[in-house]
Amino acid sequence: MTDRIRPADAAACARAVAESAAASRSLRVRGAGTKDYLGEVLPADAVLDTTALAGVVAHVPGDLTVTVAAGMRFAEVRSALARAGQFLPLDPPHADAATIGGIVAANSTGFWRSRYGGVRDLLIGTTAVLGDGTVARSGGRVVKNVAGYDLNKLFVGSLGTLGVLVECTFKVLPRPPATAGAHAQFARSADAFAAADAIVRTSARPAALAISGGPGGAWELLLQADGDAAPVERTLELFSQSARAQGTSAQRHEGLPAVLATMNDVSARGDGAVVRAALPLAAQPAFASTAARLEGFTQLVADAASGIVRVVLRGDDAVVIGGVDALLAAARVCGGSGRIERRPDSLRARLRAWGDAEPAGLFLMRRLKEAFDPRGILEPGRSAAG
Amino acid sequence: MTVRAGLRGAPLVSALIDLLGTEKVLGTREDLLIYEFDGAVDTATPDAVVLPNDTADVAKLSRFCHQHDVPIVPRGAGTGLSGGAIPVEGGVVVSFARMSRILEIDAPNMRAVVQPGLVNLHLSTAAAPYGLYFVPDPSSQKACTIGGNVAENSGGPHTLAYGVTTNHVTGLELVLSDGTVVRLGGKAVEYEGYDLIGAFVGSEGTLGIVTEITVRLTPLPEDKRTILAAFPTIDGASETVSAIIGAGIVPSAIELMDQLATEAVEAAVGAGYPLDAGGILLMEVDGLRDGLDEAATRIEEICRANGATTLRRAATTLERDRLWAGRKGAFAAMGRLAPAYYVQDGVIPRTRLPEVLRTVRDVAQRHGVRIANVFHAGDGNLHPLILFAKESELEGVKQAGLEILEACVAAGGSITGEHGVGMEKNCFMPLQFTADDLATMGRVKSAFDPAGLANPGKIFPTPGRCREFQLAARR
Repeated sequence: MTDRIRPADAAACARAVAESAAASRSLRVRGAGTKDYLGEVLPADAVLDTTALAGVVAHVPGDLTVTVAAGMRFAEVRSALARAGQFLPLDPPHADAATIGGIVAANSTGFWRSRYGGVRDLLIGTTAVLGDGTVARSGGRVVKNVAGYDLNKLFVGSLGTLGVLVECTFKVLPRPPATAGAHAQFARSADAFAAADAIVRTSARPAALAISGGPGGAWELLLQADGDAAPVERTLELFSQSARAQGTSAQRHEGLPAVLATMNDVSARGDGAVVRAALPLAAQPAFASTAARLEGFTQLVADAASGIVRVVLRGDDAVVIGGVDALLAAARVCGGSGRIERRPDSLRARLRAWGDAEPAGLFLMRRLKEAFDPRGILEPGRSAAG
Repeated sequence: MTVRAGLRGAPLVSALIDLLGTEKVLGTREDLLIYEFDGAVDTATPDAVVLPNDTADVAKLSRFCHQHDVPIVPRGAGTGLSGGAIPVEGGVVVSFARMSRILEIDAPNMRAVVQPGLVNLHLSTAAAPYGLYFVPDPSSQKACTIGGNVAENSGGPHTLAYGVTTNHVTGLELVLSDGTVVRLGGKAVEYEGYDLIGAFVGSEGTLGIVTEITVRLTPLPEDKRTILAAFPTIDGASETVSAIIGAGIVPSAIELMDQLATEAVEAAVGAGYPLDAGGILLMEVDGLRDGLDEAATRIEEICRANGATTLRRAATTLERDRLWAGRKGAFAAMGRLAPAYYVQDGVIPRTRLPEVLRTVRDVAQRHGVRIANVFHAGDGNLHPLILFAKESELEGVKQAGLEILEACVAAGGSITGEHGVGMEKNCFMPLQFTADDLATMGRVKSAFDPAGLANPGKIFPTPGRCREFQLAARR
């Protein structure tokens, strides 16, 4: 049976990691466990459970920052900020259960990225325990800070391989006075992307521009507008115009947040494989039509304002493997990158999470991994970098 | 100070000429003189200056320097305010004056690919016909380069709402100190693996040299409203900043200027700022035109409720440009008040503004110096400008600066918000970071630059120089 370590504070976490390093005991770093499907999860000697590292450490509303222990649930942070009329503008998958540390380590973003920034843009300070037990802080609690290297960025998306996050500081914002949703349906995916592109090129800065489609059905473009009432109304007008320009009409959508949350959790559900690609904006329509032509094509979900596209593939093994390869290649060819976010257990051995292409600068990533985790005990092999 | 044994002086210059040709190498005493300075107060003379034409030149130079143990210091326009471009250990300064082109404006993908020597403002000018611009707008944007912006993670007045340089860079081509060329990222928002671009931006030339940059371009706002509010006291102005944020309004810029700064700006630029105000706020809201007037009115009401005596909203583009010309020309205008100034760059949580500004006043009194304040109040990023006349006053002036930084750190802030650590504040890093924190940054340094030749003597405390600083601090 795998050991479980559940440190209550940063010092206990540092001790546990240092002891594990001394014993060459590998650690799975785990918060709520909502993203166990991500990356190459290899067997580990023990699980380091971060959920006892909980609580708001500091929140001065006038500073528009919040510092929280990394094992705290995102939903609890959201509630605490809401009491002050503020929010942390992230809409990660698994928002109800996921922990802050897990969201940072997995670089979990939803559809709000273009308007509010991704995890890398909102995270301004971290305290982390490195693989040898060193407690390292980077950044701070102020919104602007260039003192020393920005190590925060290295932890975002590192999947626990560089350090165990124990504390994180974020920029937060006042809750917008108004928010509204709208949607429109298009016969062709290219038209949905064209309508989205027309909005992206304005200064409307919608909170979300999401596209969803499947085989045979209509393609839906969903828009969320946040802000003062007048610009929100104008954004809805711009949306109607862009829908009309593509030969369709837009309607208000009252239940948008729930729909976006469901789309966001596309990788958490069901069978089949999910490929996640980050693409140059203008490459999305071609990528979508490549996806739609695949035999196993089941669903496409895009953050059209950021160029992040997820494609669900189902079918027998050969169909899924062929589809995944085609999508990863298509992402690379157009200047983006892709990964397999989820795949059936039966295909784990045949489909590597990061595909066959090496990330650029892999030798530097390996040196960083070696420097931060000299004994290689933190989530060995889980990320694209090791 | 570390003294390296590598190639230096005339033999280095002639070896570089052999390697790259005479037209790319400067080595006479007169030629080297102007490379002793940047926008800060420290100086050092390079052994040679190299003006590469392309990445291949930089790689060739780096390989050579690696073989011969020669430090390499990249330099853009030399507008940096922390001595980042000063070759503190000698060696080669690499000037990007000839690598200053826009390689591509990719409007469909809302990206531009540029060379590091490109002047910041030239990019926004070139992108404007596509309805796009480059967000980071340091006050030196008419001169400073994008490569320098990447090195320092530069900000500017409008980063309150739209982020600093690191939020707008998606791709980099680097030359490591051993000559290896690495291309990272591209036109998508992210790529697989660790965010090396995020770690590199703001590394002040200490991890390698940037030779190509892919940046995000942003749609120009449909409209803007620019408001000037004058307050009887600087406290009134700084308390208003918190009141605006507290009301749930995040303008795209909130800049503060005290009376001394206003005096200088009016003498130099004539921006139309009231001379009798203790503190002036310059604020902007932008985006879709709808609701901008309402937002501006709400801001004006808050200013009035907090004691503003003058409120002015720019009615034309010309008026707006004039208001901004005052702010952006403020550092240069200090020449009206004193022959020289030393600018600090501390950051504090913005709710602590009034108390830390009082500390700045106390420091000025204690040291018998005049300090003008011009800064990004919305971000809590202070820029106290300590005025002085003679070289002999510099040590006292630096001491006053250090005391201000200590107050910033004590308030939970940082020793630098956008000017960088460089050779100016490397000794102060232990104010903000533990030995373990610094050693962790050192692990990153070693991963990129094991030989330690990339802009040595910056960011990290150096035993020789920093011992002197500690003695001065105690005195």
